[in-house]
Amino acid sequence: MCGTACSGGGQGRPNMKPVYPKAGSYPEFARLVDRENAQVDRRLFSDEAIYQAELQQIFARAWLFLAHESQIPNAGDFLRTSMGEDDVIVVRQRDGSVRAFLNSCPHRGNRVCMVDKGAKSRGFICNYHGWSFGIDGRLRGTDGKVYDTDTAFEKAQITLTPVAQIDSYKGLIFATFDLAAPSLADFLGPFTFYLDVMLDNDEGGTEFVGGAIRSHIDCNWKFPAENFVGDILHAFWSHQSGAKAILGGGVDLGSRYDELAFQASVYGHGFETNLDKVGNTRTLGYPELVDYVFDLSEKAEKRLGSIRARAIGAISSCTVFPNFSFLPGQNTFRVWHPRGPGKIELVVWTLVNRNAPEHIKELYRKGVMMTFSPGGIFEMDDGENWEYSTRVNQGFVTRQQPLHYGLGIDSADPDRELPGHIHKGSLNDANQRLFYTRWSEFMESDNWTDLQNGVTAPPQKNAQAAE
Amino acid sequence: MIEICNSADVPEGEIVRFEVDGFPPVALARHEGEIFIFPDKCPHADESLSEGWVEDGRVVCGVHFAEFELGSGDVHNRPAGCPNLSFFSCEDRDGKVFAMLKEGA
Repeated sequence: MCGTACSGGGQGRPNMKPVYPKAGSYPEFARLVDRENAQVDRRLFSDEAIYQAELQQIFARAWLFLAHESQIPNAGDFLRTSMGEDDVIVVRQRDGSVRAFLNSCPHRGNRVCMVDKGAKSRGFICNYHGWSFGIDGRLRGTDGKVYDTDTAFEKAQITLTPVAQIDSYKGLIFATFDLAAPSLADFLGPFTFYLDVMLDNDEGGTEFVGGAIRSHIDCNWKFPAENFVGDILHAFWSHQSGAKAILGGGVDLGSRYDELAFQASVYGHGFETNLDKVGNTRTLGYPELVDYVFDLSEKAEKRLGSIRARAIGAISSCTVFPNFSFLPGQNTFRVWHPRGPGKIELVVWTLVNRNAPEHIKELYRKGVMMTFSPGGIFEMDDGENWEYSTRVNQGFVTRQQPLHYGLGIDSADPDRELPGHIHKGSLNDANQRLFYTRWSEFMESDNWTDLQNGVTAPPQKNAQAAE
Repeated sequence: MIEICNSADVPEGEIVRFEVDGFPPVALARHEGEIFIFPDKCPHADESLSEGWVEDGRVVCGVHFAEFELGSGDVHNRPAGCPNLSFFSCEDRDGKVFAMLKEGA
């Protein structure tokens, strides 16, 4: 507390500038992903030291999904979410911009916002001593009777800690705690080509409909993230009975699978699809939605070209590294918030086109509830798998055994005119290998120059590919 | 009564702070044309009311969001222990605002 001239009275004053942590380098953790032999060490899913390194290397640096613009349309509208384990308030400003702050009072650290969401907030008052912050995060006041009599108190420099950078892509708001992080556009790179399948298939853009569904799953956050990044394989086994119940038949990737299906990866973000147009949408169980997507796909061809128009409702999935995922066609969007090495908090929303008819929006909302909510027919299948994939690693001997990520090792398709690393067939571990390679890059690198120029960076010749 | 300011200095829907020699700072607000004058000190925790705003005919303290009705001073959304707001009497004479201030208010 004392400066050099300290005479014992404590003359130093608190320096309340935001502190953005520095990255380190953990080569010993990076090596646990064995890219050469397509295997992953199970300590990634159980080790507390690795988990703490993930919070520092990944969640304190990567751009993380916060909210859809449609959730906070007016000044003062806010919601509470997480970036890693950091509690964050996202709030619309009077000038229309969006800002985000740590949900922690700089005085004694208590949460200043206790609710999940609210409209037209005037500000946030800490429950502990009444410190009050505007929607711009600045300290508005405390208790004038006490603090105004303290001439040393410097109110002006005290704010809720803002995120280092915040930006949005076609309605989706992201933020990072790293001042040195590249722009959101650079972080996503040419992967936006695939995001547009959902975010830009119709004029008027998108919105989240209904509320959010929150649940806890006792699994490591990477199991669901890698599942959505490129694991359609599990559907044939895990989801077979659910698919039969809704569709009257099993999962089928279609007669044109060999010709059309692919996996694409950019900086660890991954998208897999069989391009069958409506396979995912069908699983929601409403024929009206299938008709809607067929019609949409035809209209979207002009905006997106034929490949992406076919992907809108197809059997497909996507993860934006590290923990934001969605299913095209089923329209469930979700974040797998880490809560320790063996637990996640899952938050799920339903995305629809703003211009879709109201009854179509309602069918999506209901369809997602019945399939991808805690009681949903598919979510239950997945949750139990991920829980046991995690829990077994409490076994000391079990966690010494490697995990196999070797499907499709020779399936690279560098000539296909699509952005990113392309592999043939959606039944493939390719995107998962690249997801863990990206994880490994984050563990190893303490700087963004290396991070943006490693193995997972998009191949140059494909970077500008468009239809 | 003493002269506080020009009437035009207090726009509709705003709160403006003025310092008058010999008195604690005062705040002036205009609602539906009428001017109100009160201590620039929230009766709850002494924070400045001119840092707040006018909303639906009420002065809102920008710190803990107590709301005081312009006219009666009745408090709404009251933090524990917050009394009503009291006003000074004032007049708008030929474009100048005059008020009856009290010492130590």
